[in-house]
Amino acid sequence: MLKIALRSVLAHRLRFVLCTVAVVLGIAFVGGAMVFTDTLSTALKKQYAGSTADITITPVDPVEARTGPPATLAAAVVGQVAAVPGVADADAQLLVSDVQIRKPDGTPIDTYGLPTYGAGWPHAVRTSPFRLLDGKQPWGTAELGLDESTASKAGYSIGDQVRIVTATQPVTATLTAITTAAQAGPAAGAPLVTFDPATAQLVLLGKPGWTSIAVALKPGADTDQVRAAIAKTVGDAFKVRTAAQVEADGESALDTTFGGFSSILLMFAGLALFVGAFLIVNTFAMQVAQRSRELAMLRAIGASRGQVIGTVLAEAVVIGLIGSTLGLLLGIGVAAGITFGYEELGAAIPSAGLQITPATIIACYVIGALLTVGAAYPAARRAGRLPPMAALRDGATIPERSLLVRLLAGAFLLLMALVLYLIGDYASGMPGAVLIGLSSAMALLGIVMTSPLVSRYVVRGLMAPFGHKAPVTLGRRNAERNPRRTSATASALMISVALISGLVVIGASAKASIDANVAAAIGTSDLVVSSSDPDTFSPQVADRIRQVSGIAGVHQVRQQDGKAGDLPVKVTGVGDGTLSGPITVGLDSGSLDGLATGQAVVPRTMAKSLHVSAGQSITLTTTTGKHSLTVAGILTPNRQLNAVVISLATYEKLGGAPADSLLYVDVAEGTSTAQASTAILDGLKDYPSIQVRDQQAYAAQARGPVDAVTTVIGMLLALAILIAILGIVNTLALGVVERTREIGLLRAIGMDRPQLRRMLRVESIAVTLLGALLGLAVGVLTAAAIQNVLVDDGLSELDIPVLQLLGAVLVSGVIGVLAAVWPSRRAARLNVLQAIATE
Amino acid sequence: MTGGEEPSLDTVRRMTVEQTPAVRAIGVTKRYGVGQTQVDALVELTADFGKGRFTAIMGPSGSGKSTLLHCLAGLDQPTAGQVWVGDVELSRLPEKQLTHLRRDRIGFVFQAFNLVPTLTAYENITLPLDLAGRTPDREWLRTVIDTIGLTDRLKHKPSELSGGQQQRVACARALASRPEVVFADEPTGNLDSQSSADVLGFLHRSVREFGQTVVMVTHDPTAASYADRVLFLADGRLRSELLDPTAETVLDTMKSLDPAVAG
Repeated sequence: MLKIALRSVLAHRLRFVLCTVAVVLGIAFVGGAMVFTDTLSTALKKQYAGSTADITITPVDPVEARTGPPATLAAAVVGQVAAVPGVADADAQLLVSDVQIRKPDGTPIDTYGLPTYGAGWPHAVRTSPFRLLDGKQPWGTAELGLDESTASKAGYSIGDQVRIVTATQPVTATLTAITTAAQAGPAAGAPLVTFDPATAQLVLLGKPGWTSIAVALKPGADTDQVRAAIAKTVGDAFKVRTAAQVEADGESALDTTFGGFSSILLMFAGLALFVGAFLIVNTFAMQVAQRSRELAMLRAIGASRGQVIGTVLAEAVVIGLIGSTLGLLLGIGVAAGITFGYEELGAAIPSAGLQITPATIIACYVIGALLTVGAAYPAARRAGRLPPMAALRDGATIPERSLLVRLLAGAFLLLMALVLYLIGDYASGMPGAVLIGLSSAMALLGIVMTSPLVSRYVVRGLMAPFGHKAPVTLGRRNAERNPRRTSATASALMISVALISGLVVIGASAKASIDANVAAAIGTSDLVVSSSDPDTFSPQVADRIRQVSGIAGVHQVRQQDGKAGDLPVKVTGVGDGTLSGPITVGLDSGSLDGLATGQAVVPRTMAKSLHVSAGQSITLTTTTGKHSLTVAGILTPNRQLNAVVISLATYEKLGGAPADSLLYVDVAEGTSTAQASTAILDGLKDYPSIQVRDQQAYAAQARGPVDAVTTVIGMLLALAILIAILGIVNTLALGVVERTREIGLLRAIGMDRPQLRRMLRVESIAVTLLGALLGLAVGVLTAAAIQNVLVDDGLSELDIPVLQLLGAVLVSGVIGVLAAVWPSRRAARLNVLQAIATE
Repeated sequence: MTGGEEPSLDTVRRMTVEQTPAVRAIGVTKRYGVGQTQVDALVELTADFGKGRFTAIMGPSGSGKSTLLHCLAGLDQPTAGQVWVGDVELSRLPEKQLTHLRRDRIGFVFQAFNLVPTLTAYENITLPLDLAGRTPDREWLRTVIDTIGLTDRLKHKPSELSGGQQQRVACARALASRPEVVFADEPTGNLDSQSSADVLGFLHRSVREFGQTVVMVTHDPTAASYADRVLFLADGRLRSELLDPTAETVLDTMKSLDPAVAG
């Protein structure tokens, strides 16, 4: 039986190649994701294995996973730790991100989105995370050190003047030390700038404090005992971890960071495999239909039902194994590419050889084989049902199972989709969006199941504009003649198109919402001052802008991460009058008056989640701990202020860093915004990261990430479409093989080659349009529904980019034409006589 | 319903049309393969097929009768020699012209699988006209359809018709464009005797009443007896010819050519 399967594979290279390609693409994603993840975690393990301190003490950050200034510990704690028996040395260390190092030409060094760190020079050499390579330890605000890689990339050598910008101030100092990069911990491999400890506190934090204490043990001391003793001494406010624990924590933290990337890859692997499954299902169904006589003959000469099923499945196994092998190799290539890319960019990942674990290999083969065998199984089972008599009869067919069960299941799914949609619509917010996403997935499946019934009518409607010339009619009828096949082929495309069009609509809506919100929120201010990398800047900037002539007012806005109850939130500090001037807000209830007296206003969605209304109090956690605040008012949804809003004074009282994140600038009458903008920038030459923008430009900047996300996802989805197109090519090509005799007849009675090509093109366009339009409908409706429930969460505007979507339909028509090119070339080359003579 | 019932009319027609045959084969040779596997399916065969005549081609399998039909119909290219359909020489025609010639000037009836399964009987009949973009001659179509006697089944798909009905539809399609010649390749090969009689009777009438030209390959003496003339082929050569045949005379000729043919 295996021999028959192998022969069959060899004899039908075409369907074999197309099936294999589908498996290869899916498995490449699976393999790529797994290899990349393994490689990364091995690299990270290596990195954390270099941890130098025996025990590390860090302050417990009340707000987890936040950005902004780090939580610090006071110098007194260092003394307490040093006094614990068994401790040889306790060295207070300072490590702060949000530092920008500039190249000699004043532009920031390239970090590719990875953080740059500033550190205090450690007292103790043994527990120091980095080493001096050249020069001498920096001293005072006029001296600093740089890691070797950064210095050489930027072209600095000892004695050069180096400019950096920290969250609190710009600094120009002489380079006196070239160090290694940090060997361990979060800053490992990252660009590193170093100061003497006291200067580091001043320059990096703007206040006294340390971020960790590195403990070296006395020889012979028991690590766990000392750890426990230190923990007892310092209390709950501090995390005391051994080197092993630091290692484990660091790994999991960085796993989360890069794990997101792997899960995106795995998601697309799932999508690619899902779409590919349609192709395989179709191929095997057609193959069994074509070989029904041969298979029945096998039955007639004594093959059991199981053996017939076996021959079909064996072919699937062969395809699955070859597809998995190639897919795995491609996946390893992809992972190598990504890793290489990361190393080229940031050097933040210590390199490790590509990790190809047995688990990856097994997973790829198991998934590949299961997918193909699973997708081939329905066809194989049908083959098993062939009566031996079919071998003797002409044109014997396997009885088609009634579509009724399928229709009922499909209808049920559609109904469920509707119910879920209604619940989702009622629920609103993120859970609502998730429900609607689920609902649309169900709707897609429901359409896949019911589409054989409707495909005929849809195809007829769609193809009406193409007229009724003979090749058109024939092509259309060919698309209608096997509804299962047509709808399965179209379904693969439908799913991909639904995802893309949904993404397009949500992306466009997000952009429109940002525009609208910026327009609504920017109020009376003319210019917005912001900074990127670092995101915050020194209050000096605001002071300087106030000095610029032609500036009527500057409103400072500060922001940090916090928690309201258990909800991670942004905490925004605003100056007096900011909410009535540069930012226009609406209130659902309460008033803004309470801000001045230390109360807070919160947005509607947050109030809903926290179940609070005006006059009640919330518990706000910041770096300095828990604080109880009274809610003065509830804000109508406002993208600029989706945060707990408090006055600047309160903000500072709650431990907020003295660094601004946004400035709204009012320009005096008689001065143009362009003049004002130039004047501001002239006064801030030593703050190159500062950007001054008018409303439109600020909106465009806010849109940037949306664009980037939609582009990346769109590119990956394009791959799913590619597989769907392969499916169309496959169905057409197999259809040509199956209908060889009919094509021979048509050619004999006078259909010329252009007409034959036209006939296949029409069939292809019909299938493509069917898939594209159904997908478009589901995608747009889902996106509209999601937008509807997320109105309060910032997705206030629905924007359906009609032109873009029409373009997509047009493109799918073109795809249909292209998909037909190769099958129709084959069909046109058929020898008429031989074609008529085929069985 | 055998030929020869109206000898006078038949004689007149034969005299007027035989000067310009509908189809001529002049020294047609068809060779397959090279070297040791070389087979001559047709050897310098010359034959005329008169206008308004019903000619049957017979011969044992491998005699080259189907090859001859395919060469005459422009489905296959002779290795040497010429084939004329009316005033057109086929061996020099490019593929496209050949296709259009088949569409416009030739009708086909094959042994099986004559109809496009997705089209109704009526659509199948008008298919060559639709492919040519010509408007059908309604009166002619009605005449043809009345003659095949399937007026009430025109909206049916081929799968809903019996084998005999399918072949009759195929005949109607072959005649729909009033071709210069209809080629039939074992049109009754898959049919029972009653259906065979229907189909052959129809082809006969199309010659008698509509003045069509029919060339049919068959191995059935009864089928051949519907023709005006029978050509006997063996080993790619024309061996014998019989005018106004009956089933008996055909069988006798076959026996004389090949003693192995059993009665």
